Amino acid sequence: MIILLFFVVAALTLAGVLISRNQRQMNTVCIAQSVAFAFLALFILFTGQVPSPVLRIGSPYFFIDHLGLFEVLISTVIFTFAALYARGYVEGLLASGELEKGGLRLFYIAWAALLTAIVFAFFSDNLALFWIFAELTTVISALLVAILAARENIDAAIKYIFIASTSMLFSFIGFIFLFETARTVTGTGTLNWTELITAAHAFPPVMATAAFVLVFIGFAAKSGIFPFHTWLPEAHAKAPSAVSAVLSGVLLNVGIYGIIRTYAIVHQTGSGQTASFILAVFGVLTIGIAAFSMIPERNLKKLIAFSSVENMGILLVGLAVATPVALFFVLFHIMAHSLTKASLFFSAGILHRQYKSPLSSEAVDDIRDVFTFQPIAAWGVIIGGLAITGMPPFPVFISKFFLMLQVGTVSPLVLAVVLVLLFIATVAIGFFVIITFSKRSDPVRDTKLVPYKTPASMQVPVMVLLVILLITGIIFTHGEVSFITSIITELKFA
Amino acid sequence: MIESAFLAGLIKVLFVGIIITAAYLITARNLMSLVSVYSLQSFTLVIIALLLYLIEGSPVLLAIAAITFASKVLIIPYFIATIQEKIRIKRDIQFHFLSPTSSLLLSMGLMLLVYIALSQVMEGIAERENLFFFGSVLGISLMLMGMMVTFSRKRALTKVLGFLSMENGVLLFGLFVTELPFIIEFLIVIDLIILVLLTTILTVGLDSTLEDYHKRLHRFHLWEDTEEVA
Repeated sequence: MIILLFFVVAALTLAGVLISRNQRQMNTVCIAQSVAFAFLALFILFTGQVPSPVLRIGSPYFFIDHLGLFEVLISTVIFTFAALYARGYVEGLLASGELEKGGLRLFYIAWAALLTAIVFAFFSDNLALFWIFAELTTVISALLVAILAARENIDAAIKYIFIASTSMLFSFIGFIFLFETARTVTGTGTLNWTELITAAHAFPPVMATAAFVLVFIGFAAKSGIFPFHTWLPEAHAKAPSAVSAVLSGVLLNVGIYGIIRTYAIVHQTGSGQTASFILAVFGVLTIGIAAFSMIPERNLKKLIAFSSVENMGILLVGLAVATPVALFFVLFHIMAHSLTKASLFFSAGILHRQYKSPLSSEAVDDIRDVFTFQPIAAWGVIIGGLAITGMPPFPVFISKFFLMLQVGTVSPLVLAVVLVLLFIATVAIGFFVIITFSKRSDPVRDTKLVPYKTPASMQVPVMVLLVILLITGIIFTHGEVSFITSIITELKFA
Repeated sequence: MIESAFLAGLIKVLFVGIIITAAYLITARNLMSLVSVYSLQSFTLVIIALLLYLIEGSPVLLAIAAITFASKVLIIPYFIATIQEKIRIKRDIQFHFLSPTSSLLLSMGLMLLVYIALSQVMEGIAERENLFFFGSVLGISLMLMGMMVTFSRKRALTKVLGFLSMENGVLLFGLFVTELPFIIEFLIVIDLIILVLLTTILTVGLDSTLEDYHKRLHRFHLWEDTEEVA
């Protein structure tokens, strides 16, 4: 019955957006939706047992376990802040004429639909149903990228849809393989994850590997893993910044979530080693490509997008190790990365509003005198940059540190290579910040800048997220640890 | 009652027909005939589903045939043909990376590769029935050929057709796994219709200039400026 409640909230939100008369009302409805979802998730977590029995959920196609709740909680937190940020940001888009008035309602309908599709994806027990919701998130988020209706936005959206959807078809074939494998083992075919994971130990390794490879292709494309990462920097950079934060902080998790679920099944079969090897190879390649692409990058949003690609690579390498400790910090890193990346895109969005070139939307932002015009956004980028590169006391430090320790126990060579690549990525961010933030206006040559009055709703999310990051980096509660540990037990890695 | 061996033979003949349509999709330049060929390919799938129904008697196959007929033989081709008329692009003569001849050669090689790979993977299952095996080889090959269309064509509208043909490959593969719950198959079709609608609308923007795009969106009533914003 719980699933029905989520559905009711989604329907109410849709109705709310449809009857709203202006931007602020629509925005308030969307904020309310993500807060309501977050409270529902917390309610499930604190009352009754998790994983919830089928009766409580109300449908055999859905299930609620700790991993699903973990991802839903991260998503709703990011969506809440992103919606708050969108309040001021979309106002600016309307004022400058970048977003047409007719597109406004479409924007908020897509926004609400995206969160709904994501939440249902995380609660799907049936893998084919999960696939459908994941596909829907691609379609809806591509619409949000294209909503500005500028040519390069449509270009980026089309590229995103084609790469993600064509690859996702391979995933579906992979799921059919899993279905067939389950049928040869148990007699009746099933795609319910809970049944697959209990029967997995008897799966023939060759079939399981083939299924994993096919599934991996699709979800790798969805989470921006090399060689399917090419859509990511463009889509993330061209999207409105509130959407970029969601794309990077939430949608990439959908892809990684799919990989984790399938990997948990394959790990039970005899072919866990092969799957680990595949993950490790693609993980290292992804980190490498991202690190080297970051060095020459002069567009802040693209730089942050490449940093997302890098972090997805780190997650794959961590998964490949497959020890309980490594998995613990993979999950912790998912959370840390999402929060940090959202905050960075919020700051970058403020800088983009201030410095975007009036002549061409393709041109790189002409950032100068940044501490005079946008001090909060500037400090947001600096502190966020420190956080994402893994400086203490931020949470990314903890997850990266322990992940690297775990990688070192398996292969010191891989550890060395990854460390060098991470160093390159860190230098790229530091170099960018030092060069661009130290630029001063030339009173003779440069045109005078008009200060962009940043609405409070755009600055508050940046600051609050940074505070949350500091707290999660310093304080480790007992509840947090037991929550993540129970995910590992449910995935049968313990 | 028709003999099931005869029906299985008939299905294999239709497999050949599907390969021919896929080859045509790779090489043809005229957009209108591309759409017709796609429609024909989907229709072949419908017939395969019906023949399979005669062999296995599972009602899910009938339902899939009906949905496929409605969505892929009628609605989607009609929609794409309408859009094509509006944007007045008749031919797609540009190719990226691969010329049609080399794509054909490559797809033959890929088919062989898929055959070898699958016969190894499915060793334990192959004895079940060789129609399932052939269906999956062809399904995956069709996907790869569709992918080649998607990546080698320049016009976004042709790319959409390539994607649709890939998706036909998945359906062909799925036809032989009839135990999949019907609701899932149904939702997949809905999902794909949304995807096609969206890409086609965006494609209109990509294949024309921006000013035209806005005018066109107005003409299709997809974009309205009537809302008041306080």
